[in-house]
Amino acid sequence: MTPSSRRDLLPGTLDMLILKTLIAQPMHGYGIAQHLQRLSEDVIKVEEGSLYPALQRMRQKGWIKAEWRQTPNNQRARYYTVTRSGRKHLGQQESGFLELLAAIGRIMRPA
Amino acid sequence: MREWLIRLRDWLRRDELDRELTEELRFHREQLERDALGDGAPAEEAPYQARRRLGNLPLIQEQARERWSWPWLDHFQQDVRYALRGLRRSPGFSATVIITLGLGIGANAAMFGVIDRLMFRPFPFLRDPSAVRRVYLTWHDRERSRSTSAFEYTRYLDLVKLTSSFSQFAGFTTRSMAVGLGDASRERPVGVVNASFFDFFDLRPALGRFFVAAEDVTPKGANVAVLEYGFWQREFGGRNVLGETLHVRNIPCVIIGVAPRGFVGVSEDEPPAVYIPITTAAGNEPNERMATNYYKTYNWGWMSVMLRRKPGVSEATASQDLSQAHVKSWDAEVALSGGGTPSKIARPAAIAGPLKTAAGPDAGLESKTLLWVTGVAVIVMLIACANVTNLMLARVLRRRREIAVRLALGVSRTRLLAQCLTESLLLATLGCVAGVAIAQWGGAALRHLFVRNISALDVVTDGRTLLVAAGFALVAGVLTGLGPAFLAGSGDLAGALKAGAREGGYHRSRMRSALLVLQGALSVILLVGAGLFVKSLDHVRSMRMGFDAEPVLLATANMRGMRTTDAEQEALGQRLLEVGQAIPGVEYAAWVSAIPFWSSSATGLYVEGIDSVRKLGRFTYQTTTPDFFKTMDTRVVRGRSFTALDRKGTPRVGVVSEAMAKVLWPGKDALGQCMRVGNDTMPCTTVIGIAENAVERSFSDEKRFMYYLPSAQYEPASGFALMLRMRGDPLLHQETVRKALQAVMPGQSYVGVQPMNDIIDTQRRSWKVGATMFVAFGVLALLVAAVGLYGVITYNVAQRMHELGVRIALGAQAADVVRLVVGQGVRFALVGVTLGLGLALIAAKWIQPLLFEQSARDPVTYGMVAVLLLTVALVASLVPAMRATRADPNAALRGE
Repeated sequence: MTPSSRRDLLPGTLDMLILKTLIAQPMHGYGIAQHLQRLSEDVIKVEEGSLYPALQRMRQKGWIKAEWRQTPNNQRARYYTVTRSGRKHLGQQESGFLELLAAIGRIMRPA
Repeated sequence: MREWLIRLRDWLRRDELDRELTEELRFHREQLERDALGDGAPAEEAPYQARRRLGNLPLIQEQARERWSWPWLDHFQQDVRYALRGLRRSPGFSATVIITLGLGIGANAAMFGVIDRLMFRPFPFLRDPSAVRRVYLTWHDRERSRSTSAFEYTRYLDLVKLTSSFSQFAGFTTRSMAVGLGDASRERPVGVVNASFFDFFDLRPALGRFFVAAEDVTPKGANVAVLEYGFWQREFGGRNVLGETLHVRNIPCVIIGVAPRGFVGVSEDEPPAVYIPITTAAGNEPNERMATNYYKTYNWGWMSVMLRRKPGVSEATASQDLSQAHVKSWDAEVALSGGGTPSKIARPAAIAGPLKTAAGPDAGLESKTLLWVTGVAVIVMLIACANVTNLMLARVLRRRREIAVRLALGVSRTRLLAQCLTESLLLATLGCVAGVAIAQWGGAALRHLFVRNISALDVVTDGRTLLVAAGFALVAGVLTGLGPAFLAGSGDLAGALKAGAREGGYHRSRMRSALLVLQGALSVILLVGAGLFVKSLDHVRSMRMGFDAEPVLLATANMRGMRTTDAEQEALGQRLLEVGQAIPGVEYAAWVSAIPFWSSSATGLYVEGIDSVRKLGRFTYQTTTPDFFKTMDTRVVRGRSFTALDRKGTPRVGVVSEAMAKVLWPGKDALGQCMRVGNDTMPCTTVIGIAENAVERSFSDEKRFMYYLPSAQYEPASGFALMLRMRGDPLLHQETVRKALQAVMPGQSYVGVQPMNDIIDTQRRSWKVGATMFVAFGVLALLVAAVGLYGVITYNVAQRMHELGVRIALGAQAADVVRLVVGQGVRFALVGVTLGLGLALIAAKWIQPLLFEQSARDPVTYGMVAVLLLTVALVASLVPAMRATRADPNAALRGE
């Protein structure tokens, strides 16, 4: 897949994707980027330029927590964990997003 | 909200966050590098690939950093740092400003603490305090308006019955009674209150319960007591005391509860240690007549009444309702006693007034003086602000060039203004801290002076006072910052830049001159006030009171409800007198029935040829033993005083005061005249001596009609207090005298001994307070003003050094230079003095009632203050003037 086939994210979805990723297991920034890229089969390429500010913003909103831990390779990395209010936020986002997706689908189909 | 807190915390640890982000990104890059190697990139290519994938690193960091940076907060921090640097660089300036503001803020915080406690602060636990009022009764006596908040239980019952505007009533008073038994017994304040009293508060007893209506009934309530929390802790160690017996005066009370911590009732002095039902206290009065009649007759005014307005009832309506009830109650009293002034003439009325008496219509001279002193504290604050503004203006003027450079470099004027204000607010904040410290320290002195019994005058822990201090600091910060800020922001940029360092230029500032004059004027007002109060106090102190109480001890015997026969009483009295006279150090001793400023008695007096002696004024009597006049050092100006030979059975004799002799027998010799005491059928009491007039209830404002009778010839034979004249300091003998007298007392009765001067000093307190506070604040103001003047003149001299140098080069003598500089200082002072004296003359009208035999427009005081201020101005400007004479003509000329 070439870079040109990568898609830009809808606004607001990055937070949701990060939260969804972190729900599975705490992860560092690199891990999150890799995970999103792999799962979306390279359609979504998260720019580090937007990932790290997003992580800071979410931390300040209290959705995620950050702490330093050792990686399996014994390197120091900053792991992010979802908090309770993060889970709540994700729940709201998810349902809203699915509704939106369905609505867009209905509009797009007849064409 | 939470987010903002987190952001604020992030801002505080932004350096740490920066470091963490850098490390996090490095980790990310290393992983990418490893990926690149894994994908088969050559080892030297991998770092570049990784970096490319990561993108613009500084941009990422910048964007992430925005999450924890606040530009205005950064600016503010910069300003604070800048201000702090500036303050550190000129410690003399900073210290002067901080101390000056500290004195102003401290004076106000301390005064507010006192005034607030005396007048405004609601009592703890009181529910809806604004609706709770105290009853003040008013009436007219010989066309003079009278008012009181202490009246009879019968009157209280009338008010409850005859009004409809109130939802709650309670009678209350605090009385000093012996609490405890034997050696452990002490005279303590006892809250004598209705059961309904506790319903005014939101209260939950710390232990047990409060008494209920069924325990508070006429004629005699139940023997129950509720303890004050502190008393319970101190005396009972906080153990379960319910059901135990506590002796209160002659009443063995069962303890049924303990009030919660911090509850003081409505006490303005030391809080009661114990509360007992009001009907229990009254019903157990040792005096049988009082105990049985207190709720039926109108003879014993001893208690106050508080009430709660019903919702929607205005203050005016409440007072009207009380007034009509008082009229009916007055008529009932007249009907009952079959005499007295009818209500048409006495015009009884009532006021639902403030619960705190210091804020009520009966407020004493002391609280009025206190309000004035608070005003004075505000003036001190104004002077301090004027002074600080002046110093700051001088600083801005000195930094004119620096400011011009910064403006030229593009600093916005708003930022400059913000910087100036930050600086002044920072100084004010530091001043506030200093002020609170000063108030805390000064508070101890104030407590000593005004509210000796209020245990807590702690400024540091008192929210209300701290808030007021902070408020004053904020106002001071803005006031002192605004002027300099505008001066800094305005002005001619190019001119300042061109002028160069030397030509900083001599700027006359109208604002600075005005501030200086204002300071001088305000100081003059305070000093005039100080002078007037000091003179008043002096007059009071040096006034011949008709006795000399300095070396006199006062002993009162408390029989603690023991019922003794008259004969026993008389014997005990005789015994005490003999023992008292035998104590080493005692010169003379005498029993008295009345104590100046404390108690006085009057009875019917009948003199041939005068229709109604009562119409001439109030004639009070003193029954006493032969050594009275020597004990009190009251001079008998004519005739003789009575002796031990004037006993029961011998012809009745008496001594009258000069004023009384003059009014009863005008133009005649009072000696040998006949007066009948108590009743017009009594035998003649022959006047055998005339004594000098003596103070009885107040220093001024009374006619001093007094007469003295030998107690041996009058019933009841027992005295009220024993006066002992000591050789030397009475305080040294106080305990010896108490022990010696106590040894004679039977059973549980006991003796209290205090210096007579204590009672008299209390009376002089308002003048003492006025004198002390005005002098303290006046000197403070003068000092601040002097420093201000010195600062301004010094600054001016420094600015004019070049000009002065030229003058000297052109032949000016040292004397000319001194005259020039000093002249400027004295001119300021002259304008200030004139303005201040003018204002003082205007204010004289209001301060006059607070003074004692002292005109508020006393020319001597005014003159002395003027001279003092001018002298201070002279000295303050002489120092810089001397420096001015050392201006170097060579430097000046070279500079041209």
